[in-house]
Amino acid sequence: MTLVGIIGRLLGWSTMSPGQEFVAGFIGAALIGTLMLTVAAFAGPWAKRKITAAFTDRIAVNRVGPFGLLIIVADAVRLLSKELIVPEGVDRPAWDLAPILMAASALLGFAVIPMGNGIQLADPEIGLVYVFAVSSLASLALVSGGYASNNKYSLLGGLRALAQNLAYEIPLVVTAASVVIFAGTLQLSQIVSVQQQTLFTIAGINIPSWFAFVNPFAFVLFVAANLAEVGRNPFDTPEAPTEIVAGYQTEYGSVYFVLFYLGEFLHIFLGGAIIATLFLGGPDGPILPGFVWFLIKIWAVFLFTQWARSAVPRVRIDQLIEIGWKGLLVLSFANLVLTAILVGVFLA
Amino acid sequence: MSTQEEQPATEPVAAGVDFDELAALLGDDVLDREEHVHTDAFVIRADRVQDVLGTLRDEAGFDHLSCLTAQEYADRFESIYHLKKYDDPTQEVDVVVPTARDHPVSQSAEPVFRTADWHEREAYDLVGIEYDEHPDLRRILLPETWQGHPLGLDYNQDKPQIVTLQKHRNPIEEHHRESESDTMLLNIGPHHPATHGVLHLRTILDGEQVVDVEPDVGYLHRCEEQMCQNGTYRYQIMPYPDRWDYISAGILNEWSYARSIETLADIEVPEYAQVIRTMSAELCRIASHMLAVGTFALDVYGDFTAIFMYAVRDREIVQNLLEDLTGQRLMFNYLRLGGVVWDVPEPREEYFEKVRDFLDDLPGSLQEYHDMLTDNEIFQLRCVDTGNLDPDVAKDYGVTGPVARGSGIDYDLRRDDPYGYYPNLDWDVVTEPSGDNYARVLVRLREVEQSARIIEQCVDLLEDWPEDEREIQANVPRTVRPPEDQEVYTAVEAAKGELGIYIRSDGTDKPGRFKIRSPSFHNLSALGEMANGEYVADLIATLGSLDIVLGEVDR
Repeated sequence: MTLVGIIGRLLGWSTMSPGQEFVAGFIGAALIGTLMLTVAAFAGPWAKRKITAAFTDRIAVNRVGPFGLLIIVADAVRLLSKELIVPEGVDRPAWDLAPILMAASALLGFAVIPMGNGIQLADPEIGLVYVFAVSSLASLALVSGGYASNNKYSLLGGLRALAQNLAYEIPLVVTAASVVIFAGTLQLSQIVSVQQQTLFTIAGINIPSWFAFVNPFAFVLFVAANLAEVGRNPFDTPEAPTEIVAGYQTEYGSVYFVLFYLGEFLHIFLGGAIIATLFLGGPDGPILPGFVWFLIKIWAVFLFTQWARSAVPRVRIDQLIEIGWKGLLVLSFANLVLTAILVGVFLA
Repeated sequence: MSTQEEQPATEPVAAGVDFDELAALLGDDVLDREEHVHTDAFVIRADRVQDVLGTLRDEAGFDHLSCLTAQEYADRFESIYHLKKYDDPTQEVDVVVPTARDHPVSQSAEPVFRTADWHEREAYDLVGIEYDEHPDLRRILLPETWQGHPLGLDYNQDKPQIVTLQKHRNPIEEHHRESESDTMLLNIGPHHPATHGVLHLRTILDGEQVVDVEPDVGYLHRCEEQMCQNGTYRYQIMPYPDRWDYISAGILNEWSYARSIETLADIEVPEYAQVIRTMSAELCRIASHMLAVGTFALDVYGDFTAIFMYAVRDREIVQNLLEDLTGQRLMFNYLRLGGVVWDVPEPREEYFEKVRDFLDDLPGSLQEYHDMLTDNEIFQLRCVDTGNLDPDVAKDYGVTGPVARGSGIDYDLRRDDPYGYYPNLDWDVVTEPSGDNYARVLVRLREVEQSARIIEQCVDLLEDWPEDEREIQANVPRTVRPPEDQEVYTAVEAAKGELGIYIRSDGTDKPGRFKIRSPSFHNLSALGEMANGEYVADLIATLGSLDIVLGEVDR
C-alpha cells in the first residue's frame, strides 16, 4: 500500500476520487517534506558538528540542552532573525530564485524514493530518471546564484560548481544505468525489490543481492561521483572557503543562506537515499522496520561524507575536472559496457 | 655541529673578509671607510650603487642583501645596504650611501637585488629617500595619501593625518567590467579566510590561473621601529619583539634584539642563561612550526580538519611549557640584556619531567602528521611541484628560513653565524632540494624533530648544572648607554628566517635608529615569482607555505 493510500484510509476514503487523491498526496508530500527537513535542517547540522568534532579531537556543542541539542533551536532563531541584506547590483529575481531552487530540487527528489513501510509518495515508471532530473536542477541554482550575486568570488564558485556538476553527473547517471541493466527497470520500487533476492548464503546468513554486493565496482564509482555531486571533500571546490571565501553563497545571508545550507544538506541526504535505493537495497534489512533501515542507510552515507570532509584534502579545480572526465567517466562507461555484456551473456 | 668555541655569541663576526682587497676591487667608487661594530662599511657615491653592489655580488660573492637601513642625520640621508653571503653569513660588508638633505636621491639597487624593491619602497615611505631607476617607487606600509615621512627628522607627529577613502585609488575601477579584457582583477583580502591576517593580494586572473599577484602590505603597521627608538635599551624595548611575529615565536624575536644590543654594548651572557635561552627559543620554534603546518593544512584541506586540530593540540602542550617558564602564553618578555629574567620554575625536576614527556610523545605526533598529511596522495597531488621557488630567485629576494631551506639553500644562522649555545649542541640543518610547497612542509616537520633534539640536550645540561653556577643574568648597568655613533647589525634565526636588528646609538639610553629586518617581509615579496601562472588554489597554498605573520611583515 502506498503512502497516499494509507493517508486516504486514515481520512476514511476507501476509494478516492482524483480530488481526494490530490489532497491525500498533498498531505503525504507535506509529511515527507517535513520529515526530510527535520532530518536535514535540524539533526543534520547538529550531527555534522558532533561528528566532525569527534574526528578532529574536539567536543563541539555541549552547553545548550542535553548534548547541545537545543543549539538547533538557538541556531534557527539566530539565522531566521537576521536581516536579509540584498547587495547592490544583484540580478534579481535570479538572485532570489537560486536558494529556493536549491532547496526545492532536493525535496522534489524525495517524492519517488521508497522509504520502506509503504512510505513512497509516487512511484512512476521513470522514477530514476526523475530523481536525477530534479536533483540536477541544483546546478542551475548554483550557477545562477553565483552569477547573479555580482561578486567575483561568487562567479568563480558558480562556474566551478557548474564545471564540476557537468563532469560528475555523467558518470553518476552512467553508473546508475548499469544498475538499471541489472534490474531491468527504472522504477525505484522495482529496483528495490529486485535486490531482496538472496545472492548467496554464508553460515546460514542470507546475503541479499544488493547491487553494492553484486557490482561493488559500480558502487564505489557511484559513491565517489556522489561526493563530487554534493560538493564535499575532496571535491568541495565550489565553496572552497580558503580560496574563494564561500563560492556561490558568499553574498547570501539570513534566510537565503539557510535555504542554501539546507539545500546542501538535503542534497547530501538525497544522495544517500539514491545510494541506498540503488545499491543498498533501499529499506531492506533484518529485524528493524524498513523505514528505520532506510534512515540508518542515509545517515551512514552522511557519516561517510563527514568523514571525508574531516580527513581528506581538497583537490584543485583542474585536477577535479581531470579526475571526472578522464577517470570516472571512462571507468563508468567501462562498467556500463561490461555490465551489459555480462547481463546479456549470463542472465538472458 | 661540533664547534668547540666557548662563547661565540657576542663576538663581532667580521673575520674572514679582507676589506682592503674589497676596497681595491671597488676602486674609486669608495669615498670613505667606516667601522661598524659588526663589520666594516664602504661609503660610496649615490649614483654608483648598482655598480658597487653588482661588483660585490658578482666578484666578491656577497649574494645576500640582508637588509637596507635608511636614516636621516642632521646634515644628510643615509641608505645602508647590509650585504652577506649565503654560504657564510659571518662574511659581511656594509655599503653606506649618503645623500644630501635637500636632494635625497640615490640610485636604486633593484636591478642588482630584487629584494631592494620593497626595501627601497619602505625607505622612501618611512624616511623619504628617493631611489632613481626604481621600477615602482610607491609607499609600501603607509597609505598612498599619507603626508610626510614619519622617520624623517622634520616630521610633525602632531599633525593629524586624514586618509580619505575617496582619495584612495579604487583598485576595482580600472579593470571593472572591461568588455574586451580576458582577465579579471580579484582582490584577495584584506579580509579573506586565507590571508592569515590583514594582507591584500591584488591578483589578476585569467580564468582560474594567476597572471599577476601583487601583495599589498601595511595594514598592520604599528611603527614598531619608532616605538623601539622611543624606549630605553635596558627594559623598554624587549617587550616589543614579542609583537612582531606574534605566533608563539616571541623568544626567538627577543633574542634578535638581545643579540644586537649585547654586541653593541659588549655584554657577556652567562653560559647557563644561554642554555635556557636556547631551550626556550627552540620551544617557540616548535610551537611556531606546528601552527605553520596546521594552517597550511587548513589552506589545502579547506576546513578546520583533523590535522589542524592535532597541530593545535600539540602546540598547546608547548604553550603550557612556555607559560610555566615565562608566565605568559603569547607575549613572553622573557629575555633580558645579558640573560633571562628568571630561572626554570621550581620544582625543577617537575618542569624537566614535563618537557621530557612532551619530547617523548613528539615522535608519535609527528608520525601522525606524516600519515595524515605528507603521505596523503591528494595532499601530494596538491603540493608537489606547486609554488616552485628556485634557489637563485630565492637568494635574489633575500628569502631565508624554512622557505629558503625548502629550496635547498643550506642556510641557518644558528649554525652559520653561531650564537647562544647552538655550536655546542648536536643537531642538523634540514634542507629539501625541490623548492615546492611540499618541501616547505617537510622542512618544518623535520625542523621540529631537530628542535626537539636541541631541547633534549639543553634539558640534560640544565639538570646537571652545578647549583652554585646557575647565573641567569650578567652584570648589566642599570642604564645602558653605548658610546655615540656606534652602528651594529646582527641577525638570529627566528621561526620564519633571518630576523635582523640594526641599531645606531646616539649617546643616550635610547637607540638613534632601530631597524628591523623581518624574514616574512622578504619571503612574502617572492610570492609573485612563485604563484604566477599557477591556479588560485595554489596561490593560496603557496601563501600558506610561506608562513608569513603580518605583524612581522608590517611591523
